[in-house]
Amino acid sequence: MCRIAGIISKKLKPAEIREKVAIMCHALRHGGPDDEGIFCDDEKGLVFGHRRLSIIDLSQNGHQPMADVHQKIWITFNGEIYNYPELKEKLLALGAKFHSNTDTEVILQAYIHWGMASFSKFRGIFAFGLYDTEKSLTYLVRDSAGVKPLYYHTGDGELSFSSEVSALKKAGISAEADSTWKVRFLAYGHIPEPYTTLKGVYSLPKGEFLCWHHKKDTYEIHSYHVAANRTIINDAEEAREQIRNILTRAITRQLIADAPIGVFLSGGIDSSLITLIANQQKHAQLKTISIFFNEKEYDERVYQSLILKEIEGEKYAHLVRHQDFEEFLPHIIDDMDMPTTDGINTWFISKYAHDDGLKAVLSGVGGDELFGGYPSFSRIKYLKQMRQFPPITFSAAKYFTSDRYKKISFLTYNHPLADYLLLRGHYTPADIAKILDTDLTEVEDILFNNKLLPYISNYDEEDAAWFEVNLYMQNQLLRDTDVMGMSHGLEVRVPFLDEDFKKLAENIAPGIRFDMSQPKKLLVDSFKDMLPRAIWDRSKMGFTFPLQQWMREHHEINNESLYKGKKAKSIVKDFKKNTMHWSKVFALYQIQRYA
Amino acid sequence: MPNMPKRIILLTLQTFSTTGGIQKMTRTLAHSLFHISKQQKWDFKLWSLYDSRYDLMSQYLAPENFVGFGRSKFKLGIATLVKGTRADIVILSHVNLALIGVIIKILNPKCQLWLVAHGIEVWRPLTIVKRAFVRHFSSKIICVSSFTKQQMIKWHNVDAEKCIVLNNAVDPFIKHPDEFEKPEYLLNRYSLTPENQVIFTLTRLASSEQYKGYEQVIKAVSMLKNRFPDIRYILSGQYDSTEESRIKELISSCEVEENVILTGFLHEKELADYFLLADLFVLPSKKEGFGIVFIEALACGLPVICGNADGSVDAIRNGELGTAINVNDLDELERTIVTYLQHPLTTAKRASLQSRCLSHFNEKNYRKNLLKLINDELAT
Repeated sequence: MCRIAGIISKKLKPAEIREKVAIMCHALRHGGPDDEGIFCDDEKGLVFGHRRLSIIDLSQNGHQPMADVHQKIWITFNGEIYNYPELKEKLLALGAKFHSNTDTEVILQAYIHWGMASFSKFRGIFAFGLYDTEKSLTYLVRDSAGVKPLYYHTGDGELSFSSEVSALKKAGISAEADSTWKVRFLAYGHIPEPYTTLKGVYSLPKGEFLCWHHKKDTYEIHSYHVAANRTIINDAEEAREQIRNILTRAITRQLIADAPIGVFLSGGIDSSLITLIANQQKHAQLKTISIFFNEKEYDERVYQSLILKEIEGEKYAHLVRHQDFEEFLPHIIDDMDMPTTDGINTWFISKYAHDDGLKAVLSGVGGDELFGGYPSFSRIKYLKQMRQFPPITFSAAKYFTSDRYKKISFLTYNHPLADYLLLRGHYTPADIAKILDTDLTEVEDILFNNKLLPYISNYDEEDAAWFEVNLYMQNQLLRDTDVMGMSHGLEVRVPFLDEDFKKLAENIAPGIRFDMSQPKKLLVDSFKDMLPRAIWDRSKMGFTFPLQQWMREHHEINNESLYKGKKAKSIVKDFKKNTMHWSKVFALYQIQRYA
Repeated sequence: MPNMPKRIILLTLQTFSTTGGIQKMTRTLAHSLFHISKQQKWDFKLWSLYDSRYDLMSQYLAPENFVGFGRSKFKLGIATLVKGTRADIVILSHVNLALIGVIIKILNPKCQLWLVAHGIEVWRPLTIVKRAFVRHFSSKIICVSSFTKQQMIKWHNVDAEKCIVLNNAVDPFIKHPDEFEKPEYLLNRYSLTPENQVIFTLTRLASSEQYKGYEQVIKAVSMLKNRFPDIRYILSGQYDSTEESRIKELISSCEVEENVILTGFLHEKELADYFLLADLFVLPSKKEGFGIVFIEALACGLPVICGNADGSVDAIRNGELGTAINVNDLDELERTIVTYLQHPLTTAKRASLQSRCLSHFNEKNYRKNLLKLINDELAT
């Protein structure tokens, strides 16, 4: 739930800080339509802002920023702590007193009792700013799966933060564009963390916290991750049993809400599974949202109905037509916060969920990444073989005209990101240089300057899972899902990324976890008596829209005269001939729009 | 041509794309050479065969002074022929680069070739080319410790005068704390309290290298855990899966699951904080060329225990800064750990240890010695 913002500055006057935070809150209002709050400490030059989407404890008790009774600790919080009832019980036993039924208050009391050690006790999706007046410290904290966003800007002894990049821009905190974002966007199809479109604005890494020292005006960033000795699960039956238990627990605790909650149902394995398990908990109260199209090959109603007939609650199905896409595309692009080539699907389904009166939904994001549901899991082995050759072998690949083979030129770069981009990337460095009319060397320097990635050496399914979870899902799926959901005041929850469930998946021996004889075999086998055969024994569809066709008919996207440069125009021509994927042209289209 | 700037090339296998003792030493060497050359108006280049251009950590030297060949031996070969042969001094950071040294010397006999000798890579028989290089083609062998110098003489019969001991310096970019509190975020991460006595080892945990001695520490911890119930052993460093299972089996057979914490790879930016978290650094290794990690620990005021039969004794200044033990003697290891745990260092003592370490192994001294060596070479 909610959106947050804040500034710490000794240079600006208190009134100026307040005004900037108010501007940010206004820019974030779509994600928090129910309430607004501001907290100021003029002496410290600190202002926290909050826009509320009420899901738990809908009363005024949930107003934020919130403080403890003694007003020593202040918080502005976005997200949900799913295990707050358990934590509350433990805190009550320690003598904590509560005045509301909110999870926000549980964070405050947890911090008061456990200090920094509280961060790793939270199970949920969250990003918050917490100000400790006694220690003169402010923490920014982000959940371990990186579901909730938190962007920050530091400089000149000042700290600013917000749930969305555009709010920081509107408040004038960083007005200058980052000079490298277009290169990254064209390579990835999104802007990978920690980068943004704004200069000096970064995403706080998942599972980490920023600690601001008010006395020294300095900060540090650390992981709050708690080390646990890994016990590898080598027994398939034990793995299945644990998957059943822990996923069911994750879904159950994520259904906690005082406002209406539902499930996105696409017809694939993951969303079907979540719907069926959620139905066991919520019965008639569970609402399902699904989408269908007039375009036959994208119509998943056969599969959706297999699940829907098992469900007791209300079922909402919505037709998305070509003209809806035409009508809403400008809104969708405005709602993106940062350019992305995905998220149109989530925008529509979130819109309908909101129109149907929901405030929170469960989504199946994460199942493919954890259990090998993508083609990259089998392709990565070929990559290993190709890596045996010296890089120079592949340098001629950039002259290929076919897009598919051109990507082989990524093998000339000795960098894990080149491996990822070969599997998942959009444009090659040579094409990006032509599109942006810049030096190839400059493009390479921007793309491959990241030294923080682990060295990929095995090229096995675990490496593929690392790429999918930490790059594709993190930067594309989760960001798009959050920002598109929040643009309609809808919180999207992701049970597959429950911390305990994710850990479980990572602890299962790769031979069992990635049995590639059938996609996501382990997950399917764990729920075989529940999941209809037709759902898992089919070719993978994904949550896909007829965008190739719709975009080819879009009067601006297909109009090459609107694009600058020879390369861009020729790409659009290829697209019209249907030899180019829509997502690549959509990336170009956004670059033009931003220019 | 008296006015031509002197050309110096530091040729390495890998400097930035992985992190180990040799890479760390090379970074500091490159940083020193970069600054000396700027001052002296020399032309300095760091060449790295396995790094790419974008691997450079720009705090160590400017991009125009760095060439990463991105694994291309072909490109390195061309560069050697075109530019390498025109250098005045070429420093090879690893004996595996000997062939390139030999080629340069044949094409340009005036070029002076130096070799950096670290540890086990030279304490063993060498191939004909490498032996010829160390004996005949190189003009100086920079040994990171006296022990390595002795080994060079013993194994390869190298002229003792050619072998110069130049101890490593502490990385100029590692944080030197001025407060010695245990970092709260790390205490939280491992569910520790300030009362826990923390022994720390940082090393590569490879199934192919069985000489680092952390097994001994695990055994010692199992004997100490009843006497010191709060004892924790943090064993850090990247491990392969074979070694992971081997260590875990040992931990379980020693019944120290509650006491030993395996962290895996440590991030460089958190390194100094781990040294602060610990009360004692122990690496009873048999084959350290110098053990740069010892001086990094000492630079954070952390006392160290090392082995007495390798280059480590240089890092602890023959006992002035730490304790060297017979690594095969488990009792001695246990006794030494007990001594440290019974007399934990006060803040003042940690500060004093830190300043003594830095007074010996600082980059300023290192640069001064290096400059003298180069000037002597150029004068001849």
